[in-house]
Amino acid sequence: MVEKKFKCPDCGKVASYSGMPGELKTIYCPYCSSKGRARLPELKHGDDLAIEVSDLRKEYGDLVAVNNISFSVKKGEIFAFLGPNGAGKTTTVEMIESIRQPTAGTIKLIGKNIKTHFNEVKKDIGVLPQEFLSFERLTVRETLVYFSKLYKKRADIDEIIEAMDLKSCEKMLYRNLSGGLKQRVGVAIALVNDPDIVFLDEPTTGLDPKARRDVWEVIANLRKKGKTVFLTTHYMEEAEYLADHIAIIHKGKIIAEGTLDELINRYGKGSLLRIKRCKTEGAVESLKEKGFTATYESNGDIAVKIDYKDRVLDVLSNLRHECIEYESIDVRRSNLEEIFLHLTGSKLSEEET
Amino acid sequence: MRGQVIAADFIVSVKTWLRSKGTLFWTLAFPIMLILIFGAIFSGMGDVEYTLHVQDLDDSEMSRGFIEGLNSTGAIKIEIVEPEQNVSSYIDEKNIMRLIVIPKGYEETINKSFIDQNAIVNLSFYLDPGEQSSNQVVMSIVSSVIQSFNMKLSNGRNIVGIDEISTITEDFRFIDFFLPGMIGFTIMQTCVYGSIERNTKFRKDGILRKLLTTPITRTEWILSKMLFMLFLSFISTFLIILVGVFIYGVTVNINALMITTIIATSFLFSGLGMLIGRFVKEEETADTAGGAITFPMMFLAGTFFQLEMMPPFLQTFARVLPLYYVNESLRNAMIYMNQSEAILNTIAVLAFACVFFIAGVLLTKWKED
Repeated sequence: MVEKKFKCPDCGKVASYSGMPGELKTIYCPYCSSKGRARLPELKHGDDLAIEVSDLRKEYGDLVAVNNISFSVKKGEIFAFLGPNGAGKTTTVEMIESIRQPTAGTIKLIGKNIKTHFNEVKKDIGVLPQEFLSFERLTVRETLVYFSKLYKKRADIDEIIEAMDLKSCEKMLYRNLSGGLKQRVGVAIALVNDPDIVFLDEPTTGLDPKARRDVWEVIANLRKKGKTVFLTTHYMEEAEYLADHIAIIHKGKIIAEGTLDELINRYGKGSLLRIKRCKTEGAVESLKEKGFTATYESNGDIAVKIDYKDRVLDVLSNLRHECIEYESIDVRRSNLEEIFLHLTGSKLSEEET
Repeated sequence: MRGQVIAADFIVSVKTWLRSKGTLFWTLAFPIMLILIFGAIFSGMGDVEYTLHVQDLDDSEMSRGFIEGLNSTGAIKIEIVEPEQNVSSYIDEKNIMRLIVIPKGYEETINKSFIDQNAIVNLSFYLDPGEQSSNQVVMSIVSSVIQSFNMKLSNGRNIVGIDEISTITEDFRFIDFFLPGMIGFTIMQTCVYGSIERNTKFRKDGILRKLLTTPITRTEWILSKMLFMLFLSFISTFLIILVGVFIYGVTVNINALMITTIIATSFLFSGLGMLIGRFVKEEETADTAGGAITFPMMFLAGTFFQLEMMPPFLQTFARVLPLYYVNESLRNAMIYMNQSEAILNTIAVLAFACVFFIAGVLLTKWKED
């Protein structure tokens, strides 16, 4: 939303109107009710961007850890930086957080170059570093109070405790918390200054599935509060579940970038309908005759490629029409694992090992 | 610099310390144990050879006999000073700690004393006030030799006596020498190890990386850590003094010079710890690195042993160690009440503190490579 002031040509008083950038609006003077039309200004380039990275490079001797990458993150979105260990995720995010010095490139946070203005933007960012552990012998509340005192702009600690669901453990020492709770406290620490941008570096690594889900909910809630979240992860499900925008990094280079749908459309194989434990002979042949791309899988199930969503109904009606018996069916979309495999020739999970 | 941020960080350090029962126990027990154990061990120490310079202006049979008497004790190493030397300038130039002058007419006066009951001869004993505990040992040896001479010559009448040319007015024991050394050593241990451990642990846990992204400055953080180390230093000092006073009966003078030295020492060794922590990345090697610096310094800087027990080249080396000046400053300020020596040594400690604090602030690095 943008807002613009105007001077009423009839009564001469100043009022304002708001709407989407570039929107043509009918406006009414609140003083004399005269009517007119005006267009709201377009956003200037970069106004809607929280993070802008250009030609970022990091070298360690002969090793190029980050190889001239460029990307941008819009305000209010969850941006997932996905890649296997050693791909350059943490090096990149730590350069954006000014923890590491880039060899080359430009980084802007909220329009400000961090090389010259990092002290100014510190108040606007919240960071959960990779493998972060806080002071062992402080309680959760004391930890949050300590970190909030480092800032002039402070969020309400009670609200953070409530939002992060930490009420039940606020008096517990940090060292006695479970891994999942520690990570939630880590996210809570990153929010003590009510930041605009939150950096979360591998926030769910090492957590069990339940704890991971809990942290996901916390991160999803940050989007509802209008925060921009920069998330690094090597869990594709995490990126799929949380991210509005995904960049896949491999060997220091961004190999793909876009929304999940864009990535699937661009690099995926579409969706696959799987007919499990088919009891009718010649089912694949029957489907092929009707123009479907159907194959037997190694376990005897039948896989049918779905190019667009209405084809699912076509397959189902064909199964009924041909009286093909089966135990169950499921439809699965291409996922990031397949995209990573397509782009690199190896599985993300294999790269991990 | 924001006081509120420094206060918040200081309070976190104190809370963390109070809640770690092991750390709390050892911080309090370590100085007490050391002063009790080493105090008991070194209080009985005696087999030490001390150097005594002697200028024989009489050059007679009796004066040579007296020198031979001193030599035969085995506890004193005699160095002869030529009669034509000016004693005052000789002491200054050669940094002599103890010198006895046998006056001209020594033998003649002794011979005269057999007829004249009032004839006495006094030896001039020049003492360096900065080495008071060893001076006391040498003084007692010299006194016993003189007493033995007087016994032989006149059945106990004091024919030969001593004129002390020094400011020493009290008797000092080894524990008096040892207690200030113990304070200096404990502050060094607390601050060096404390700084190294905090740096390496906070780096490993990502706390330094986190702080780098917050508005706290490196100077604010280092200052708050140094204030915490100072807090621990005062606790250790208090405990050592308490044991020294109530168990060993040491007379301690608490004054501005002593407090200045403790503050400067705390900053000095916290800075040194930060410098070591800057280069030691792993938590596991932190203790080894700390020990490699503090243990040689502890033995070489006159904490447990007087410098003159060591070979001359080590004595020279000791004088470049900051702990030596800390020990000397505390001894002169707290025990010997030698203001001029205390001031000189305190200035040296302050200079070391400035160098190490500034180096600690400048070289401490939060950023990753």
